[in-house]
Order: sequence, then structure tokens, then C-alpha cells
Amino acid sequence: MNNYAHRVLERLRQKYPSEEEYLQSVQTWLEMIDPALDDPRYEKLDLLTRMVEPERMVTFLVPWVDDQGNAHTNHGYRVQFNSAIGPYKGGLRFHPSVNASVVKFLGFEQTYKNALTGLPIGGASGGADFDPRGRSDREIMRFCQSFMNALYRYIGADTDIPAGDIGVGAKEIGYLYGQYKRLLGKAESSALTGKGLTYGGSKVRLEAAGSGTVYFLDRMVGSQGDTLEGKTIAVSGFGNMSWGVCRKAAQLGAKVVTLSGPDGYVYDPEGITGQEKLDYLLEMRDSGKDKVSAYARRFGVEFFPGKKPWEVKTDIAIPCATQNELDVEDAISILANDVRYYVEGANMPATTQAMKLLRLSPKVLTAGAKASGSGGVAVSALEMAQNSIRYNWTRSEVDEKLRQIMGSIYDASAAAAAEYGLGEDLIAGNDIAAFKKISEAMIAQGL
Amino acid sequence: MSGWQAAGRNESTERIDIMNIQNEYLNGLMERVVKRDPAEPEFHQAVREVLTSLAPVANARPELIKEGVMDCLVEPERTIKFRVPWEDDRGEIHVNRGYRIQFNSAIGPYKGGLRFHPSVNESIIKFLGFEQTFKNSLTGLPIGGGKGGSDFDPKGKSEAEVMRFCQSFMNELFKYIGPDTDVPAGDIGVGAREIGYLFGQYKRLRNEFTGVLTGKGLTYGGSLARKEATGYGLCYLADCLLKDNGKSFEGATVVVSGSGNVAIYACDKATQLGGKVVAMSDSNGYIYDKDGIDLDLMKQIKEVERARIKEYAARRPGAEYHEGCVNIWNIPCDIALPCATQNELPLEGAKALIKNGCFAVVEGANMPSTPDAMDALQEAGVLFAPSKAANAGGVAVSALEMSQNSMRFSWTFQEVDDRLKTIMTDLYHNAARAAEQFGMAGNLVAGANIAGFLKVADSMLAYGLV
Repeated sequence: MNNYAHRVLERLRQKYPSEEEYLQSVQTWLEMIDPALDDPRYEKLDLLTRMVEPERMVTFLVPWVDDQGNAHTNHGYRVQFNSAIGPYKGGLRFHPSVNASVVKFLGFEQTYKNALTGLPIGGASGGADFDPRGRSDREIMRFCQSFMNALYRYIGADTDIPAGDIGVGAKEIGYLYGQYKRLLGKAESSALTGKGLTYGGSKVRLEAAGSGTVYFLDRMVGSQGDTLEGKTIAVSGFGNMSWGVCRKAAQLGAKVVTLSGPDGYVYDPEGITGQEKLDYLLEMRDSGKDKVSAYARRFGVEFFPGKKPWEVKTDIAIPCATQNELDVEDAISILANDVRYYVEGANMPATTQAMKLLRLSPKVLTAGAKASGSGGVAVSALEMAQNSIRYNWTRSEVDEKLRQIMGSIYDASAAAAAEYGLGEDLIAGNDIAAFKKISEAMIAQGL
Repeated sequence: MSGWQAAGRNESTERIDIMNIQNEYLNGLMERVVKRDPAEPEFHQAVREVLTSLAPVANARPELIKEGVMDCLVEPERTIKFRVPWEDDRGEIHVNRGYRIQFNSAIGPYKGGLRFHPSVNESIIKFLGFEQTFKNSLTGLPIGGGKGGSDFDPKGKSEAEVMRFCQSFMNELFKYIGPDTDVPAGDIGVGAREIGYLFGQYKRLRNEFTGVLTGKGLTYGGSLARKEATGYGLCYLADCLLKDNGKSFEGATVVVSGSGNVAIYACDKATQLGGKVVAMSDSNGYIYDKDGIDLDLMKQIKEVERARIKEYAARRPGAEYHEGCVNIWNIPCDIALPCATQNELPLEGAKALIKNGCFAVVEGANMPSTPDAMDALQEAGVLFAPSKAANAGGVAVSALEMSQNSMRFSWTFQEVDDRLKTIMTDLYHNAARAAEQFGMAGNLVAGANIAGFLKVADSMLAYGLV
């Protein structure tokens, strides 16, 4: 690693010794952008320190009362990481695991994910160590209102635009926006994204993440002179992301043949296509049972308890479930099965070792979540645009813009990889392209 | 660039001073303007010139005088003067003066450049803000007029000094500007670098990322087609003027002076529209290439190598190089596009163009024709479009940058270019129509002044006295 980068990382380690997730993501990033660091200005302007540390971090208490009248106190966070190319933008996560390290890590990753969408959004993240599971709607509403009572003074359409993440879905965004609007006294709808369709949400948002990943894949496959037509795809998970991938893949002539859950995976050789199967996916997700075996029973296909879908031989693999779901063993299966394209839908689904194995193998073309998983945030930014012009685009207008954005992310990643002699390493290419864009904007704006 | 406009004025002063404003009230108003601020000669000249060309309008529409529009028009809505202290690299303290004149917001938030140059004073900023009001109005976009700057000289200063100056300047200015209030841009001494520092400081002070400045870099909110804007816009307007008179670029021989952004992209678009550009110049001399300019070679020399234009003749077989610029107008051509600098087209040049059968002169630079050259061309029936109208493409794309920032979405190059074309086409027709309406058909100089003025004046009438 570059000497300056090394010192920046060391300083960070000394300053934040307990923030594992954050340090890990910074280290990986510094390794990825290493080939692009030989500009003496970076050290002179101490640019790297300013790129790996947040511009501002707000922590606050969130007191609230449960249905029995007992008070609880949670910890809220908002990390405004980087505003070089647009107002801060990133999700809110409500989960007991949330702490300073986690939100810093998420804000850092978000900054470089947002950069390549080509849309004017900086990076941020936030949330609280509140667990919405088992809470009544009223309790969730009271929590969201208390959370917003603290947060509203730091956000705004031109300042910081939160969205959902784990534990923050359409319901929570609704409560948060309602309270924001009330405190502000005006309907500044572009201060939050992921809103419902009746109050400023965007069409395509539900399937944005999955569609985006498939659009990225489509450009990647096309760049190899290949086509999605007739390809088989292994997908993990059965949530929103998986549903979106199944749907868009079918539209583009490919078929997804697996889904997975905590209980195992199902193999449907006919493909998860057609309205009936797609609708059933949503039904299964909404049931909250967290079991994919129901799909096997309903459509008479095989279920493999306790196994992961990577043992199925397919042309393409798309992990859509959760972080670190794919380990070295799985990576070896993927390589042994001659999978040609590995594209991440979920955030950081592969362990560090598994990722290394896939990334460095010449047999499989690999794309990381920061690139292929940015369909969701891209449509969030399109939601902001529609709120700003006070006008809604049609479904096909949003979908077409999403397709163009995902294609251009692929192009920028591939071009940067080629420029730095990294062959088809789209992961390093993506990090470098995003680094170049943000560093240029930061240098231009001075200290 | 408009600084040259100021410099260029001196030679025409005498002629303007003997001009009589053909309206008694406006003559009195002119006297009051001089009496109120006697030490502002540049501003007096600008007002006198505009009032002279507006006399026929005031005569036809007396309510403009009665309702106070003319009196309000010559007084800025607000003038802000402030101290700008900064520290140089050796630790010494300097104090400059900053200005922002918010001249007129009748049709949109104040909009106009910032100039950092030792010559900056209140009179110059006031004159530039006054002119900007009409130029902006002519684009048809919702932007009022403003101007600002400082007597700071960025020449010879280090990057760090320029940054500290910009930050100190913005520490005061940020209170008065905003995307719905006043949107500054660059001018002399304020380029992409200064805009970046100014934007960074504004964002830090306000904690808002908005379209508060234009001319931003592409990574943080700038617009595509900005570099091409003035040159392309110039040719779109020329194309309308030609077609309106039964001519076109198709098969025409074109001379373009200059070799900066305006000239290069005027050459590019003129060629796309079917013309053959045979000459370009820089401050040392000009080249003549009878086969038509090889634009890729020209760009390589001027944009990449930043070499002299002489190099072009050395590398291109059949091209000739001539020392000195003014003889470029002796080259026989159908269309001349002066895109270099102020007063580059003198009377002799105009005479040569007329003698060789040139049928159109469209100004890309700011005030490139001397007043007597302008008169000679118009008297000889040469189609003439003044810079005020013809080079409005630059500010038009600034306004499109504001649109894109407001909608948080960027247009493609093609989308910006299409809008630019529509803007320049509408601008031409508005100016031509205004000239015709007030009995000066074909006179785009008067037409541009009147059309720009009318939109502002009608809006002011609608608001009442505010």
C-alpha cells in the first residue's frame, strides 16, 4: 500500500481502535484504489484523511414510551460523510446492532456507491439501536416521531436526505416524513426518500434494486459479446431484491432457477417466471415466516434443506440475501460450476476471502455491490428529482433512466479498470472511478 | 470577457456623448443619473447608450415613464460593499474590497458574474450589472441581472492564496446570495478554480448543496455543453438570421477570428451546418486554409498543446500563416464571425469585407466591431448581429445549469444543445420582431436592446412600485 495511505490507515486504527467494520471497509478501499494514488496533491491536501472520515457526525438520545407506559431510551446517529458531489444521502437503520462503527462504515460505503450513479448525491448513513421487531405500530410511530424530533434540524432537501435501510421500510418512512413535515411547517417532500406513492414516492422504487442489478448484469454480459437470452441464474434470498431480480431477468430472456432462505434452497428448473410465481414470492415474504420451503410445496419443485444455492450449475450467480452469506466453500462451488458472471445484489454478501477468490479468478467476471447493487439508491435520487420538479415520471420513464444509470456505472468501472491496467477487475475499477470523481470535486472546492 | 467591453468603450465615448436621447424626460433622467453619482463614467455611458436606443419605445409607451419604470431601471435594487481581509503565504495581511450589485430581479433571481481584477470599482460593477439585466432578459430564461467582484488581482498569487481570498470573500457574500436570490458566476479572474473554492465555502457555511453558483465543475453540478455554448449559440443565431434573409451556411465561405472556446466551437458548428471555415487567428497572426480548417488539428494545437496558431500552417499542407491579425478581414468570405476580442474589426476591415461581398457579420466576442465598422456594415446592407444577442449562448447555458441543479438531474449533451438551439432561435425572432415593431426592421442592434428591455419593463409594471 502507498506510504501515505498506510499512515492514514494507521492513524485511524489508533484513533478508533474498536470500530472494526469501519476500519475493515477503509482498509479494503485503500487497497483497491492503490493504483490511482500516485498524485502528490493527495498528500499535500491531506485528501485521504478527509475522504475516510465523516464531515460531521451527530449522536442523540431517543426517548420514547411503550404501550405499557414504560419509558425507553435509544441511541440515534446520523453520519454526514461526504458532500463533495451533492447533499448527504443514505439510509437509516433501526437494529440493535447499530453503533458508531456500523453507521460510519455504512456512510463510507454509501459515499462511493452514490458517486457513480451520476446523480448529485453525497454520502451518509444513520439509524438507531432500536429493535422494531415485536413492537406495535403505535410504538414504532412514537419512536419515529421522537427520532425525528432530534434529527429534523440536521436534514433537509439541500442538506441531507435520509432513506430506509434494515428496519426502516415504507411504514417508518411515512411516520418520519409526517413528523418532519409537521415540525418544519412545509411539505418539503424531497427531504426523505422511499416515500409511499400517495405522498411523493417514485414508481419502480419497489423493484429498483433488483432491476438495477439485472440491468448492470445485462451491460456486463453484452460487453463480452454475450447475451442474457437463455441464461440460467442462481439467486439467494427471497426478499425484495430477489423478487426484482427474478422479474427483470425474465423480462430480458434469462431465468432464475433458485431461491433461498434460512431453511435451505429451492430449485425450479422451469425458472421463477410468470405472474403467479412472482406474486407468490411477495406473499411468502409478507407472511414473515422466513421459510422458502413453502415455494417448493406450492409449485412442486425440489427443496434442499440446510443447503445453499451455489451448488446448482448455472451461468450466473447473484447473491441477494445478506452480508457474508457466501463463504470460501461457496466460492469454490461457483468456480467449479463454471459460472461466468458473479454479480452482487446484497451488500457485501461474500466474505473477504471468498471475494478475493472470485475477483482474482480469470474464469468468472465479478461485480461488487457498490456497483451492481446501486439501483435502489439511484431510484431514490430519481425520487428527489421528481419531488424537486413537482412532477412524477411514468413507470417506463423511471425504468429507462435506471437502465441508463446502471449501464453507465458498468462503463465507468470498466473504463477505470482498463485505464489502470487491472483488466476486467470491475470492483477495483468501480472504487477507482468513484474515488477519482469525489477527489476531483473535493480538490476543486478547496479546504 | 466583458472587461474588454469596458475598455472598448473609451474609443466610442465621443460618439455616444454627442448622441441625443430623442425623449425629453429621458434626457432629464440621464442628467440626474450623472448628478447623483458623478464619479461613475462607465455607468453613465452604459445608461446613455441604452436610453438612446429605448427613446422610441418610451415615446410609444408613455406609461413606462409615468409609472416610474425608467427611473427604477437605472438604479440598482441593492448594492453591497464589503471588506475582504486575507493573509498571503508570507503571513502579511491584505485588505481588498468586495462588491455585489443586485441590479434587477424583475424576471428572476439576480444573476451575473464575479470579476476579480484591480480595475474593479463600483462604477464598473454597476455598468456591468445594468447591461447584464438586458442580456439575461433576452435569453428568455428566468434570470435577473447582477454583478460583483473585487479589486483583488489573482495574477501571481499561489493557489493557497487564491483559495484563502475566495473563502474570505464568500464569508461575507454568502449572506446575500442563494439559488432563489442571487446566483453568481465567473468573469475575468474568476474561472473554474475560483468557482470551486467559492462553492466549497458556501456549502460549508450554509450546510446546503444547491445551485448557488454556475460555472461549476462537472463532478459537482456543472452542465455539459458549457464549453461549446457560446460558439454553438452564435451559429444557431447566425443560421436564423441567414435563413430569414434567404441565405444559409450551406456552401458559404466563413472566416472566424480567434482560436479560443468561442472561435473553435463556432468553427465546429459552422462546418456542421455546411459552411467552409477558411481562416482563424490568435493574438500573433492568422492562418488561411483554403481547403477548410482541420478542426481536430486546430483543437490539438490550441486545446491540448496550447501552442501558437502558426503551428497549424506548419503541419497542414496548403495552409498559410500571416503575421498580424487585422488583415484576416481581407480574406474573401461570405460570412464573418469575429470571435477574438473587443475592437478587432475596425472600419478598414469592414470595408474589405463589404468589397469582397461578405453578406453577414455575427459577433461572437464582446463588442468586436468598432462603432464606425458597425455603421459601415449596416449601411452597406450586410446582415449584422451584435454580441449582446449573438453571444448570449454562454449565459443561457448558465441558466440551464441552474435548471438542472434545481431538478437534481443532469441533461445529456444532446438535451442541453437542443435547448440552446431553441433559446437562440427564439432570441433571434424576439429581437427581429422588436426592431420591426418600432420601425427599425432588420436592425438587430436596436431590436436586441428593445426586446431585452420590454420583458423587464413589463414585469416591473406588473409589480407596481416595489
